[in-house]
Amino acid sequence: MSATKQLEDAIFFTALHMTDPEQRRVFLDQACLGNPALRSVVEEMISTQTDAEDLLERGRSAFSLLSDELPLPALENDAAEDGSGAVDERIGTKVGPYKLLQKLGEGGCGVVYMAEQEKPVRRRVAVKVIKLGMDTKNVIARFEAERQALALMDHPNIARVLDAGATETGRPYFVMELVRGVKITEYCDENKFDTRQRLELFIQVCHALQHAHQKGVIHRDIKPSNILVTHHDGVPVPKVIDFGIAKAIEGKLTEQTLFTAYEQFIGTPAYMSPEQAEYSGLDVDTRSDIYSLGVLLYELLTGKTPFDQKEMMQSGVEGVRRTLREREPQRPSGILTTLHGTELTATAAHRHSDPPKLISLLKGDLDWIVMKSLEKDRTRRYETANGLLMDVQRYLNNEPVVARPPSRRYRFQKLVRRNKIVFTAGGLVVLSLLVGLGLSTWLFIREREAHHAQMILREKAESAEQRAERSEQRAEAREKINQAAIYVHQGKFDDASTLLGDVKSPLPKPSYDGVLAYRTVGEWLALQGRWDESAQRYLGLMEIDKLDPWGAVTLDYQACGVVLLESGQLRKYDAFCRATVDSFATTTNGDAAGRVLKTCLLLPPDANLLRRMQALGDAAEKFFRSLGSQPLWTWSAVPVGLWQYRTGNYDKAIESCRRCLSEKDKTTAQSATLRLILAMSVHQNGDAAAARAQLAQAKEAIDAWFKKGIESGNDSNGHWYDWIFARQLLREAMALIETVPPSAASPAAPPAK
Amino acid sequence: MNEITLMLEAIKRGEKQASEQLLPLVYDKLRNLAAARMAQENSGQTLQPTALVHEAWLQLAGDGSRSWQNRAHFFGAAADAMRRILIDKARRKSRLKHGGGQSRLDIDDLEIAATTPNEDALRIDEALEKLEQEDPEQARIVVLKFFGGLTNEEVAENLGLSERTVYRQWVCAKARLFRLVRLLEKNDQGQQSSVKNA
Repeated sequence: MSATKQLEDAIFFTALHMTDPEQRRVFLDQACLGNPALRSVVEEMISTQTDAEDLLERGRSAFSLLSDELPLPALENDAAEDGSGAVDERIGTKVGPYKLLQKLGEGGCGVVYMAEQEKPVRRRVAVKVIKLGMDTKNVIARFEAERQALALMDHPNIARVLDAGATETGRPYFVMELVRGVKITEYCDENKFDTRQRLELFIQVCHALQHAHQKGVIHRDIKPSNILVTHHDGVPVPKVIDFGIAKAIEGKLTEQTLFTAYEQFIGTPAYMSPEQAEYSGLDVDTRSDIYSLGVLLYELLTGKTPFDQKEMMQSGVEGVRRTLREREPQRPSGILTTLHGTELTATAAHRHSDPPKLISLLKGDLDWIVMKSLEKDRTRRYETANGLLMDVQRYLNNEPVVARPPSRRYRFQKLVRRNKIVFTAGGLVVLSLLVGLGLSTWLFIREREAHHAQMILREKAESAEQRAERSEQRAEAREKINQAAIYVHQGKFDDASTLLGDVKSPLPKPSYDGVLAYRTVGEWLALQGRWDESAQRYLGLMEIDKLDPWGAVTLDYQACGVVLLESGQLRKYDAFCRATVDSFATTTNGDAAGRVLKTCLLLPPDANLLRRMQALGDAAEKFFRSLGSQPLWTWSAVPVGLWQYRTGNYDKAIESCRRCLSEKDKTTAQSATLRLILAMSVHQNGDAAAARAQLAQAKEAIDAWFKKGIESGNDSNGHWYDWIFARQLLREAMALIETVPPSAASPAAPPAK
Repeated sequence: MNEITLMLEAIKRGEKQASEQLLPLVYDKLRNLAAARMAQENSGQTLQPTALVHEAWLQLAGDGSRSWQNRAHFFGAAADAMRRILIDKARRKSRLKHGGGQSRLDIDDLEIAATTPNEDALRIDEALEKLEQEDPEQARIVVLKFFGGLTNEEVAENLGLSERTVYRQWVCAKARLFRLVRLLEKNDQGQQSSVKNA
């Protein structure tokens, strides 16, 4: 190689990696000083970078086309190895410690054998040897990375993946629990399963996916051939196979490997979610599996996939992407009407039905369930496999489904979605209005109208800007909450907590998963005594709960109240109580009123707040009287007793508590709390001895519970926040009974805060 | 199969001529393999030459004596073979199209021809030959990456270079190739116009 070339290359490479053009210019000035020829070569090399890439890209596709057209000589023996009918010479040989016994099947990505394992246990397993050339080291490394998560999966509808390794010939293989079954679609057709039977199988598949998702495993390749139906005691049981394998062999999907990936590893794009087909295969989460489940459901119901596989394959990579991104699939009932007579009759016969009956069966709820799963925008799909299966279950129970047909609101949302470009162009609107502002200033600077026009334009610009900003922030918040929900599914509570801490208002509409994320993280923090952080999460949860159109008083309010107090944030607690009382002051729901009272009476409120709670107190008392002797009434006695105590009606409070206390019940949070209210009430009435006796009993129960270490608790004995509630009240009762003599405590007026 | 294994072993022992004998074997296998794959799967997808090379490795290199070193040698040979196969094919097609290159060409025709995939392929190959004279190492890296589908890491292993060097040489090689293609085009045009003017 010539010295000139070496120098040119060296200067080119260095200059290329300078991002600052000024810096690059100075460098070239110095490096090529007195040598204009050198400089012109280097500058040419730099300026033609993209052209050079283009050239190679064209070359690459040219070579691909050429290899398509290679002549077809006679097949040789070893070339037929992958063909059907050939004797498989691998039978009888060993792959790792597994002896191959029989070929079970062959798919796009590998050959599956029944094999025998001898150590550590003698058992039959399925061994899948990956067919095509790939980087074995990386495949196995990716599998190892997910092994931990895979090992956590334990579900009757999931075939366990046991092992992975490399054959002597350098191919990766995977070892799985042996499932002798038939592809789910074939099984249903062969046995003429009707729609209900198919849905019942499908629900089991959803259960399996929900389990996997909770363990943090995404399947990525849900399709009929990966769901086999076997029999257990005569009952059909679907088993999902190949967990973790798609991820291990897929790697990242680049333009260069995409076709290979389709053909060899994934087999068909018909089951792929739109986001899976995009360039960055990295951004795939559990909702991608939901999409594939939707395709599966579609096929179980109609015998077709939403988009025709052949058509898709012929349209090329970009065509596939465009279809998945832009084309709305036909509804299941709709696609049936497009089938030819004989095909439709056959499809219906396989489902133990006739064409008109089948079409009308799918129309409506089932159409909507399928279409919700197949939404292109994954935030509009069911958020969990559980959500999907619940809706199918609701359909089977004849209950209204969540994925209901378009209401006016739904249609409005569609409209917004269609006009997303206009919506996101908010920034441009702002810009043009500001330009307008400048123009009007220039044109009519002396006119009164100009002044007025300016005002209007400025206002419009500002409000447009604010709107644009708010919708952006809301989208960001939604994104974070979604991610946190996934972390919660994976048990990564710390990560979820950090992410939720970053969320700023305005908050998005409440979603089931989002609320669950806040609640789970808040509780998790509380159980570790991280009260400040827990309080923050609960306050966030309250913000979201407030957006709930039903305005329900959830148990979250109680948890939030005790956590705020436990973290010592008295001012925030006070503000929280006032806001809560204001929101629910007029509720006539006795249960809700009770919850608000419990939350806001934990510390003695001031007279003003107490007055505002009068209606709530009345509602709770009425509800309590109406309950009679149902087992729940111990719970509803707490807010009523506390209300009566706080308002100075000690006799009534004593009666309410006594009515619900039994000698036997010493271990529940509610009885401990009632004893405390009782103790304080009798103390106020002057009976010090009785007060001390009740206080001692309550203290014993509370101490015993906390001694075990704080845990989340349950409905019958009390949740963690019920026990913390009791402990907080215990502090007040002890202070009162042990330091204030009964006579001094007697005035009926409530103590001021 | 055994033949290839033996050959690889010979290369490992440092027998130079083994490398040359390996090539025709790999060449044949790649052609057969491509044909078999095309016969099996007619769904209209594009066949990736690099995928073919990987497949060939798995099918060809015998059952025993499979080391990463062997793999490197094999991929070197396979990349050369793949290049030869594809360029032959491109030449044949190009000859067919232009009636054996006998007819006179208009400058307009030439511009259209310059955009066809075959011409691109042949130009790149021609530029690569020039680069082989100027800088054999850079050219080798292009062959291994472009026709063999090797990663930087594998190329580094194959040629005994550091990965960083492979990356640097690859970046430079791309710019070089483009420059050479442009030079070749200029020459061609010069020749063609002189033919026309004559």
